[in-house]
Amino acid sequence: MTDMIALAGVHYSYPDTETEVLRGIDLTVDAGQVVGVVGASGVGKTTLAKVISGFIPHSEGGELSGGVEVDGIQVPTSTLADVVSRVGLVTQNPFNQISGAKFTVREEIAFGLENLGVPRDEMIERVADVVELLGIEELVDRSPYALSGGQQQLVAIASMMVMAPRVLVMDEPTSQLDPSGSRLVFDIMESLASKGTAVIVFEHKLELLRETAEVLHVLADGVIAATGTPREVLSDARTDEWGVGATRFTRAARRAVEQGLLPKKTELPVSLPDAVEVFRR
Amino acid sequence: MSTLYLDRPSPLNRLNPITKLVGVVSIIILVFALPYWWAPLAILILVVVPAALLARVGGRLLVVSGVLLVPLMIVIIVAQGFFNPRGETILFSLGSFNFSLEGLLFALAVGGRTVVLVTATMVLLFTTHPGKLLNALSKNGMPPKIAYVISSTLQIIPSFRTRADSILLAQRSRGLKTGGNPFRRFAVLIPLLSPLILGVFVDVDERSTAMEARAFGSTAKRTALEVLPDPLVEHIARWAVIIVALVALALSFIGALPQVSWPL
Repeated sequence: MTDMIALAGVHYSYPDTETEVLRGIDLTVDAGQVVGVVGASGVGKTTLAKVISGFIPHSEGGELSGGVEVDGIQVPTSTLADVVSRVGLVTQNPFNQISGAKFTVREEIAFGLENLGVPRDEMIERVADVVELLGIEELVDRSPYALSGGQQQLVAIASMMVMAPRVLVMDEPTSQLDPSGSRLVFDIMESLASKGTAVIVFEHKLELLRETAEVLHVLADGVIAATGTPREVLSDARTDEWGVGATRFTRAARRAVEQGLLPKKTELPVSLPDAVEVFRR
Repeated sequence: MSTLYLDRPSPLNRLNPITKLVGVVSIIILVFALPYWWAPLAILILVVVPAALLARVGGRLLVVSGVLLVPLMIVIIVAQGFFNPRGETILFSLGSFNFSLEGLLFALAVGGRTVVLVTATMVLLFTTHPGKLLNALSKNGMPPKIAYVISSTLQIIPSFRTRADSILLAQRSRGLKTGGNPFRRFAVLIPLLSPLILGVFVDVDERSTAMEARAFGSTAKRTALEVLPDPLVEHIARWAVIIVALVALALSFIGALPQVSWPL
């Protein structure tokens, strides 16, 4: 496996502050892997997403130390243009991801390709592929500003996917999506990973992370508090302490253990298939 | 989106936006270059109105330009008719004020130019999707950052208005009174502005990140998804109107245009 993202001892503080938002982050993501990061609000998830995607330090400034290597380049010493040609970033607010430069969804999706000077024929093909994959054919002739938040988020994701980044950073990409839209986004992450894209997703939807992520990190107070498989991490008794919470299946099983309905050493379920397996025993 | 564009299947809608823009600019140059009071009227009747009818936007043009131009024309005609210092031929009098023919013709020339400028521009805006116009301008050398400023302004302002409405709604739900006399309405702006402006700063930061993530700062030679048809006949037409306008301007500048009655 090749490390597409390799963070080693990363510390960061925003300009004009002394408080470190990130305090010694070590993290790797391989090609073709989906890695999740969970944590309470304000622990530094968005900051970490910006470090990986190069906006820290290139746009935000601040004090960054430690190693940040993405797709073989050192992010702090490379240009932002070089980083964004390799890393796609999807953020949580869909409204602000719409460029404002284009008047139809089709053009909006192609905007990044136009900026990179991709030939028109290739552009048409790539836009059509992404539109079909996301099932947004009926939106392509509409104004991006005439869409709902969820639809705008799908357009934002399409706009990133079409650029075929080797690394995809998704910062709460499903915050505006309904359950089926959220499911679709996670399916797309899996599909991209299966083609070799390294995906790191910062997300609160634990059940979907359980099904999709290979590795889960818990970010708490600027440090990685726990790492493991989603089931290991999300069934940990400290999830409330980390501000991550637990899925309804974990909570139900925990209550069942407390009431003696399940053995004390039961491996707690995180998702529906886990729960079925546990309760069947 | 803040746009006057009307999606109609007309020949004018199908023209390349640059052709229409060149046409409008040439018309404006012509009406300002020709020193005849009847020139704007002639261009209005022979060019602008037929173009509007061809584009099936005549009714809309009448309504919008009427609202804008009728009060303006009334003011210009009254002011110039009664108070033009060159007024000699009295048409009628109101008390001690005389309404002169020279003042009326001057008003028609000045006002007519404004009418042509506004109506020709409106026909352009009614028949040209702003996105296509900006695409065409970008293709012809307009810096992408300027195109971005124009297009984002057109699109983001309505969203900005929606956000202002949401903030007002939230504040009203917490007991803020937004109705009443003009002073009270003005006072409502104060609690509205703070969250609105702070929100804009956050938006600007996030949007610039999104733009960079999509290689807006790239130095690569840009390509375009949408290609606008630009046939040879339109190229010829553009150069023809440009030459006509420039000749008229040059003749006017050197004073070589023939003197017709009431030159202005």
